[in-house]
Amino acid sequence: MNFLRSAVASLVASTTTHASNVIALGMLASLASLMSTANAAPPTDRSATDEVEVRLISASSQVAPGQTLLLALEQRIAPHWHTYWKNPGDSGQPTSIEWTLPKSATAGDILWPAPKRFDVGPITNYGYEDKVLLLTEVRLPQDLAPGSTATVNADATWLVCREECIPQQATLSLSLPVGTAAKDSTDASALSMARAALPRKASFPAAARIEGRDLLVTWPVSAVPEVKQALFMPQDWGRIQHAAKPQLDRAGEDWRLRVPVGDEPATAGKPMNGLLLLDGKAWEVSLPVTGVATAPTPTTASQNTTPAIPGLSGSPSLASSGSGEADISLWTAMGLALVGGLILNLMPCVFPVLAIKALGFLHGNASDHRRQGLAYTAGVLAAFAALGAVLLALRGAGDSVGWGFQFHSPLFVLLLAWLMFVLGLSLAGQLQIGAGFAGVGEGLASKPGLTGSFFTGVLATVVATPCTAPFMGAAMAYALAQPAVELMAVFLALGLGLALPYLALAWWPALQRRMPRPGVWMDVLKQALAFPMFAAAIWLVWVIAQQAGPMGVLVALAGMGLLALAAWIRSVSRNASSRWQWTGAGAAIASLAAVAALLPTLSAISGTDSPGATTSSGVARNAGVDHEPYSPERLAQLRAQGKPVFVNLTASWCITCLVNERVALSTDEVREAFEKQGVTYLKGDWTRQDPRITDLLKQHDRSGVPLYLFYPAGTGGAAQVLPQLLTPGIVTTALKAGPS
Amino acid sequence: MNIPMTFTTSSFRGALSRRGVLAGAALAATMAMTGLAHAQATIDQPAPAFSATTADGKTVTLDSYKGKTVVLEWTNHDCPFVRKHYGSGNIPALQKEAMAQGVVWLQVISSAPGQQGHVDGATATRLNKDRGAVPTQVLLDPSGQLGKAYGAQTSPHLFIVNPQGVLVYKGGIDSIATAKADDIAKADPYVKTALGELAAGKKITHASTKPYGCSIKYGS
Repeated sequence: MNFLRSAVASLVASTTTHASNVIALGMLASLASLMSTANAAPPTDRSATDEVEVRLISASSQVAPGQTLLLALEQRIAPHWHTYWKNPGDSGQPTSIEWTLPKSATAGDILWPAPKRFDVGPITNYGYEDKVLLLTEVRLPQDLAPGSTATVNADATWLVCREECIPQQATLSLSLPVGTAAKDSTDASALSMARAALPRKASFPAAARIEGRDLLVTWPVSAVPEVKQALFMPQDWGRIQHAAKPQLDRAGEDWRLRVPVGDEPATAGKPMNGLLLLDGKAWEVSLPVTGVATAPTPTTASQNTTPAIPGLSGSPSLASSGSGEADISLWTAMGLALVGGLILNLMPCVFPVLAIKALGFLHGNASDHRRQGLAYTAGVLAAFAALGAVLLALRGAGDSVGWGFQFHSPLFVLLLAWLMFVLGLSLAGQLQIGAGFAGVGEGLASKPGLTGSFFTGVLATVVATPCTAPFMGAAMAYALAQPAVELMAVFLALGLGLALPYLALAWWPALQRRMPRPGVWMDVLKQALAFPMFAAAIWLVWVIAQQAGPMGVLVALAGMGLLALAAWIRSVSRNASSRWQWTGAGAAIASLAAVAALLPTLSAISGTDSPGATTSSGVARNAGVDHEPYSPERLAQLRAQGKPVFVNLTASWCITCLVNERVALSTDEVREAFEKQGVTYLKGDWTRQDPRITDLLKQHDRSGVPLYLFYPAGTGGAAQVLPQLLTPGIVTTALKAGPS
Repeated sequence: MNIPMTFTTSSFRGALSRRGVLAGAALAATMAMTGLAHAQATIDQPAPAFSATTADGKTVTLDSYKGKTVVLEWTNHDCPFVRKHYGSGNIPALQKEAMAQGVVWLQVISSAPGQQGHVDGATATRLNKDRGAVPTQVLLDPSGQLGKAYGAQTSPHLFIVNPQGVLVYKGGIDSIATAKADDIAKADPYVKTALGELAAGKKITHASTKPYGCSIKYGS
């Protein structure tokens, strides 16, 4: 204090010798506000900085021996600034007062009014704006002599923040005459009103329970029938994550407020003090605590990367991310997965399979339909569980995996291509399969067995894998970083979403009645739907071409020929005499064996290729924009030069990727925007496993392609993550939005 | 499995007409993702890996420091709490001491452009020179990505990563949450103690403490 004052004084002395008094005064004023000690000696009851005017107020104009004197530190705070509550939240510092009192007098703690919650991005604070009275009770000694003067000094320290923070302090003083009886001052009513407005002890029992990583605060509905908004403000650091949005619900006879625990959760057995704000009314609570917080979710190896917060780019309306992040919970992930699964039904790969299956409802009875629906659901769930198990096994083995990982295997792609081809044959009526693997083909003619329904479910899952539905990405990325149980839960939720529409249709005949009436059109539709299947097979062969080259195509097509042969032999021999039937079956099996024999050839072929060898093949040619293959080194080099870079991580088996390239990235509009702004376009092809691309995906918390990143010019900026479905507008806006 | 690919242009347009809806859904999904994996740095867990740009334009990764103890210090030169520890020489002294023991000290500036504490690389370097500060590197994080990955809240806010890449300390520089330099001597110097304990192979007494200071000026 003293050195500050003398500093100011010496500054006055030195500046007055200079001509420019105006400047000196200005400097002095700003210096005074910076030093925040505007009070000159001797201290008075008030002081002011640019941000806060403080005043020490007494409820009594005359005090008496033995009296409990009510004092207040009044802070009048400039607009947009705030001071802090006793728990300031994620940052800040509470106001503190050091009292110098008459001998033997004692001051209590500050009686804190209910604070406001301030959210600035991911930071949450509790404090006061505009005006606040911080009350303190001072117990005066019995031996205070009437006729004397009682002097109270308050050394107040506070931090006031807007965006920036300024620590300030003031020494305030009040001299009060001592009489035989206390007399109210003019401020008495204001102070007693402030005291009446303090949070009261809760009139109802409230308790806290820790479950996993959540704190649950409960109180009876009977005590507080209506609650729309609730907030718990603990008095101590670390009890909760302040910035998380608390979730209020009713659990039986109790209201329940759920909020994630912080870095120092409450301990069972010790009460946790704080305020419970119910629709704006603050109750002081001392909550008995039960339960123990579990250790934070282990960060698995696959999550051990920068959990980037994708700064959403695109049009300004898209750029509203970055604030209010909270951890995605298991429930959220499951919800997203469920919705993602529902959307998967509309994906072109899945839809034909289901459409045909659904046509089966035009026959049969309701209870049979329900069994079919359940069998189908079981099939989908089993397939997703199997997929989850494979993922877990791979992850356990240290592989980095992601959604669509199956497609890294040419063998899988080949089998899928053949499956599509056989389905196509079946739909086109060229193949009569028994009620076996593909009950699909039988859907119209006969009542397919439950096994058929089950495998339709499996099939739907298999054909759905190359599709990434909106909402799935978030859930998948979450799931892949979780322990086994959570991963399975999310996968099953996704499966349930996929199964739901069919299950619903199976369950309610009313929905079935809305379907068109049976007729010849059904056969026509069935045959027509064969072509999407053939198309899918063709596309998969194209994928194989990039994975395994011309020899891979040869194997794939040879296999299809043999499959067609087997189908033909079977169909011509099935109505022949029994001897020919046996011969036919034998020949069909022989061709199938030949098909199987082709498989090792493929692994031999694809084994000779190194993963990087195909980087610039098919996918690359597909694009209309000049680009270079992605490599971390090239990206780092360009970034070091401060050049803007657009990164497209794609794969030829990724439908979404191909559509985006077609409708957005290879348009003239985008091409021109790239050229105009000197953007280097890097493309990473993940058609085959490439750890360098997996790394980049992980850095942005993705488990699969597509991923579009834009690094604006300049060396400092991080990547903007573009949405998974692009339009030329989204891309060009993102390029513009990036600071140049 | 792509029907649009078979039915060529006409059905391709069909797919396009749905794009509005799909784009909306994708937007919602991406928004949901922004809430994802705000995986805060957790004690005894691998520290979030990162790749960041330094004041002198280089790119460094946490991985590249494997085998060394790494201190991450979030800072904002205009914050009074930071000034407390730089003006008094407390943090610069700690940096020197840490460097002498082979510790990597990374200053991180997560102030968004236009916000208090946001500086370019040259300014950051000059500021450190003026203050006698000797961090190994200054990491520029104007997007706040790194800050949010670690859950950094205040300036200063400190994190210590052990040579195995595991987070062993997070919290305040010391125990007295004020902006007064006088309090430094009275405070329990958490970071200094933790570094000493780490070097001696002992368990860190206070692994998670309350960070204090100005809020980090993230962009919104």
